[in-house]
Amino acid sequence: MSESLTIINFLKLILLTMVPFVLAGQGTMLGGRTGVFNVAQEGIMLVGASVGFLASWLSGSLFVGMLAAMAAGGLFGLALAYFTTSLKMNQFVIGLALFFIGLGLSTLLPKLVIGVTLTPPLIPTLQDVPIPLLSKIPILGAIFFSQNWLVYASVGLSVLLYYLLYKTSLGLALRAVGENSAAADSLGISVPRMRYAASIIGGMLIGLAGAYLPMVYTGTFTENMVKGRGWLAIALTFFGGWSPHTIFYGSLFFAGVEVLAYRVQVIGSIIPYQFLLMLPYLATILVMVFTFRKSRVPAFLGQNYDREKRVL
Amino acid sequence: MSEQTFNPPLPQKTVLQTAAQKAVPYLAAVIVSFLVAGVFIAAMGFDVLKAYETIFFTSFRSLNGFVQTLLKLIPLMLHAYAFTVPLTAGKYNIGAEGQFLAGAIGATAVGIVFASLPPLVLLPLVLLGGILAGAFWGLIPGWLLYRFSINEILTTTLFNFVSFNLVDFIATKVWADTAAGHPTTIAIGEGGWLPLLVNRPPLHAGILLALALAAAVYVYTNRTVAGYDLVATGANPRAAKVYGINVRRMFILSLVLAGAIAGLSGAIEVAGVQHRLIEGMQSNFLVLGLIIGLLAKGNNLAVPFVAFFIAILEVGASAMQRTLMIPVQMIFIVEALVLVFVLMSDVIGRRRR
Repeated sequence: MSESLTIINFLKLILLTMVPFVLAGQGTMLGGRTGVFNVAQEGIMLVGASVGFLASWLSGSLFVGMLAAMAAGGLFGLALAYFTTSLKMNQFVIGLALFFIGLGLSTLLPKLVIGVTLTPPLIPTLQDVPIPLLSKIPILGAIFFSQNWLVYASVGLSVLLYYLLYKTSLGLALRAVGENSAAADSLGISVPRMRYAASIIGGMLIGLAGAYLPMVYTGTFTENMVKGRGWLAIALTFFGGWSPHTIFYGSLFFAGVEVLAYRVQVIGSIIPYQFLLMLPYLATILVMVFTFRKSRVPAFLGQNYDREKRVL
Repeated sequence: MSEQTFNPPLPQKTVLQTAAQKAVPYLAAVIVSFLVAGVFIAAMGFDVLKAYETIFFTSFRSLNGFVQTLLKLIPLMLHAYAFTVPLTAGKYNIGAEGQFLAGAIGATAVGIVFASLPPLVLLPLVLLGGILAGAFWGLIPGWLLYRFSINEILTTTLFNFVSFNLVDFIATKVWADTAAGHPTTIAIGEGGWLPLLVNRPPLHAGILLALALAAAVYVYTNRTVAGYDLVATGANPRAAKVYGINVRRMFILSLVLAGAIAGLSGAIEVAGVQHRLIEGMQSNFLVLGLIIGLLAKGNNLAVPFVAFFIAILEVGASAMQRTLMIPVQMIFIVEALVLVFVLMSDVIGRRRR
């Protein structure tokens, strides 16, 4: 890409780059709001990228690839829920184990399906879908309404999750599980069912976030292509106070830093590009310095609930 | 996140007494994992028995295989310690990769800048450069935790990614070896190379350093007052605080120690194997170290043994990829499965009680 970094282009790229952060961040938030703290994002995103790429390549349809990536992510969410909610195993440790499995699978699968080749196959990348009429608005149309449909979907998802969590009784029940599982249980809310559902849907979103990378950025799967975005998503949920709307704003910020880091090197700068590429990680740490203490965290985050234990 | 979110395993003192009893779930987990993986290997049309024979016996069939295993053992063991030592104080260090690379950078820098010094001076300086640089890389998350209460899991991980770019910068802009065709620095002075214990196949003296470190960790955590403060902090931070231990300072100390250990690992890799900084030299040591540390359940005494087992599997898996064309990642998934099953065996144990 040799585009000049005009303001319009910059803003358009931020929206384009925001998607994996929104999807992975909201997926993490959803599980966390019920008390299931997922730390396998990096692995699940890698699997999503790998499976999404392979399924698209085999079927010739990006949509099939996305569904496959979501299914794979959902399986990881299911495993996480089973080990933590049913077997009551340490959430962080099992999350790490799932991260390892995802890391291994993501590189193993392409080798088994494609074989070892010097030139990996390419899939067509996701096309922009200009919205009729709206995309004709000067400037705004180019920024907001000429994006690929996952950009629109991730905005819609954030609005939907906000509505679900804060305006419906289901959302209230879901939040209650994360804030006080025992109290929610005593009200007749099924804690395991809530945790399973949130963890599985969360995993699907994280898997889709991974699939976005080969489908929009590269057209192929490369080892470790997630480059820490999974870990950044965890930071993002803390930064975003575990709420859909603030996570969405946080994603814009994360995307902005990433666009700066990866695109400024294209137009050239006096700073060596390696230091620009450090920006997303350093900016995240800097932001945490200011927000980590104040971040509102679900009280049961990372804790399993055993109704047969009196003391929690 | 509150400090009570995760429960680190308590250090166990009577390991040797109950070793046999404890080996049962591990053996079961290994067998089940290999059975599960065997089904997949067979389904892909490979010879399962031949694959497993290669995995388990490559390390013992030839001197070369055994030396390869020992060479693999060094970084794996040190990376595992970089995880279990802070875990003794209840802190999770996922940043051994970055600390290893920082150590490699430190060692390389010293080895290049003072290249002409005699071995007696340069080698200790190279090692020290690695240890200090690694410790510094551990100090940053430690300080962020101490000063701003930022969760160390995230910061240690994010600093890995910072270190990748730093390596790339140094290997392409500062001391680049332009003939290498891959981001690599020029070689360090020969005085900074670790001496060889065995010439053919080459086995460098790093294994002695690693074993000395294992002994030092054991003595420190089990036989000294300072180490007991660390153990007490991990066992019950509140009680330790009441007792008068500066818990937060212990957290920093544990991460600095972890960084120093991983930094030493980086220095050994530079001084013993590569003699230069190479992009990607961190391999997958981080994740293997985590697997070893978790398999050992944070027990420092168990680390060398678990690490040796994983080193056997890794050397065997490389041989399997060469001779049978089975992707080496297969063994990685087996290792992760062993971990899951070992963790599950705890649940079974808990239910039977």
